[in-house]
Amino acid sequence: MPRASDISRSLDRLGLTRDRRRIVYAYLAAITLFVVGDIVHPGFARLDSVTAVLTVASFVGLVAVGQTFVVLVGGIDLSVPWVLNGAAILLVTTSLGRDSLSPYALLVTLGMGAAAGAVNGFAIAFLDVPAVVMTLAMDGIVEGLTLGLSGGMTCRACASYAPPVVQDAVHGSVFGVPAALILWFVVIVVVSFILSFTTFGRKAYAIGNNPLASYLAGVNVRLVTAFLYVLSGLFAALAGVLLVGFGGQASLGMGSPYLFQSIAAVVIGGVYMLGGRGHYLGVAAGAVTLVALVSVLLAMNMPDYGRNIIYGIVILLLLLLYGREEREE
Amino acid sequence: MSIEATVARPPTRIAYFLGQNAGLVLALSMLAIAIIVYCAVYWFAQAALPGNFEITSTVNNTMPLVLAGMGQAFVVMSRGLDLSVGGVIDLSNALAAVELHGDVARMVGWSALVLLIGAALGLVNGLLVGIGRLQPILVTLATLSVYQGLAIRVLPQPGGSIPPAYTSALVNPNQPYALGFVLLVGLVWWAFRRSRTGVSIIALGNDEMAARANGVDTVRARVTAFALSGFMSAAAGLFLAATATAGDATTGNGYTLTSIVAVVLGGMNLFGGRGSGIGVIAGAFVTTMIVNILFFSNIDPLYQSFYEGVFLVAVVVLSALIGGLLRRR
Repeated sequence: MPRASDISRSLDRLGLTRDRRRIVYAYLAAITLFVVGDIVHPGFARLDSVTAVLTVASFVGLVAVGQTFVVLVGGIDLSVPWVLNGAAILLVTTSLGRDSLSPYALLVTLGMGAAAGAVNGFAIAFLDVPAVVMTLAMDGIVEGLTLGLSGGMTCRACASYAPPVVQDAVHGSVFGVPAALILWFVVIVVVSFILSFTTFGRKAYAIGNNPLASYLAGVNVRLVTAFLYVLSGLFAALAGVLLVGFGGQASLGMGSPYLFQSIAAVVIGGVYMLGGRGHYLGVAAGAVTLVALVSVLLAMNMPDYGRNIIYGIVILLLLLLYGREEREE
Repeated sequence: MSIEATVARPPTRIAYFLGQNAGLVLALSMLAIAIIVYCAVYWFAQAALPGNFEITSTVNNTMPLVLAGMGQAFVVMSRGLDLSVGGVIDLSNALAAVELHGDVARMVGWSALVLLIGAALGLVNGLLVGIGRLQPILVTLATLSVYQGLAIRVLPQPGGSIPPAYTSALVNPNQPYALGFVLLVGLVWWAFRRSRTGVSIIALGNDEMAARANGVDTVRARVTAFALSGFMSAAAGLFLAATATAGDATTGNGYTLTSIVAVVLGGMNLFGGRGSGIGVIAGAFVTTMIVNILFFSNIDPLYQSFYEGVFLVAVVVLSALIGGLLRRR
């Protein structure tokens, strides 16, 4: 009987390294869920239903871009929920639902996300504040500011809709493909390219593997780390913009599912939580897997609590299947 | 060069203590400052000093956080993080609201059972982390979802009831008798610090390889840390139910984050192995005092999490600076 290590060695020879295998597993998990979904709820794997799942997954996927960046350097971004939520509210309150104001509103909103990320990055990279503490505090800071400035969502501007331009951009489609999906696809290509083929991307991996060695090799560890947090804030804000464009109006708490989902997508996608390993291609599949799982459970009319339980168990199973650390001898 | 010049002069006993226990000292001074500021703002608002009622309600409201923070502290000491704290509190809170009625024997029996269930839930986390070799953050993120689901299954709508006798035994509304429980938690830490289990958990958090090389059963230490956390969180849920005199399967959610805040304010190192549970108790009280101070300073409660976030970052940055200075001397 062949031993597991022999199998993995022969797969390595075929070009399927462990990191690449994890990406393949993530896609297999996504496909399996669609197949299972189609069995328990016929029609689940039809094109329109798949498109709907992918569109919802694109929001998770965008948040997960930022999460991937910071996890690659061994960090984590817990400020995602309120940066996303704050961005959504900021977009409607600055644009007041008018197209003429939307360029300014978009600039302010994305700027807010980048600014929150910049403060995170500065404190984590330059002041050595633990990432968990800093981003947790930032989540509270943005929450407090959002609630306080909007009067707990009672302000008159808070009820505004997203500008029609933004709504149309999210709901529009090119040759039958939803615009949100096209944007996500572009992001997947660009992010994968940046991570694999640019010095910036390679520096991120290097820092995640060994910050000291990267520093000695001439990488500006602090600056690159800080910039990755800026990107995370920016992507969370972008997801907020798209979500409010998708739903029309902003609401309190709309960001809260995205912390869990973005981290879970990163993990299912095969990114190593301690940094230095993993790829966004896998994370994209992880986002699809998560959303497909939720959709299957919804299609089965599973009550709320059941969804929570199964959701957690499936993630644990996926982790046990391939998220394990090597045994240290 | 003489030998005396090369050997550093041994620090005085006080300087040594301050350097070794910088976190604890800072946490206790922060608590002292918080109490003074609280008395000051209370004086300005009410023209009197806080009396028996204020002390009692502060202690009673802090009890769940003292317990949850201590649970989190055990896991943090082992170089982990327990995000399922909120889920365990939810479940034990829900169970308490549904099952705690009838005679004394039944109440005591169910309380013990709830504590055991909490320890078992923690054990599951521990086994997945220790034997499954999964990342603590990921495991507890997934089990958080499962435990929250179970809690909602037990108590779908807020409600249930806690007998007045139970409330007055745990959190007496008239006298600050709950201070006795605070003392008890402190004793638990004292015993933990001196027990074989405690030492092995701290050794594991300091340096896993060194701990294993010295014969510490690291898997067992890690599993125990998580089980202890589950036990303490379940106790927090009981106290939360007793204070609210009813149950709600979602009120525990916030404790995942506030337990981490209490640990950080308590001066415990998030990377394991260093810190004091006494500091964490102080940290829990500081967390409650900030809310009280903000209340009596007439600050819009909507901004509350903003100030908490700013305070958290400020404390971490300042304590890193002061700790560095103390150790350098």
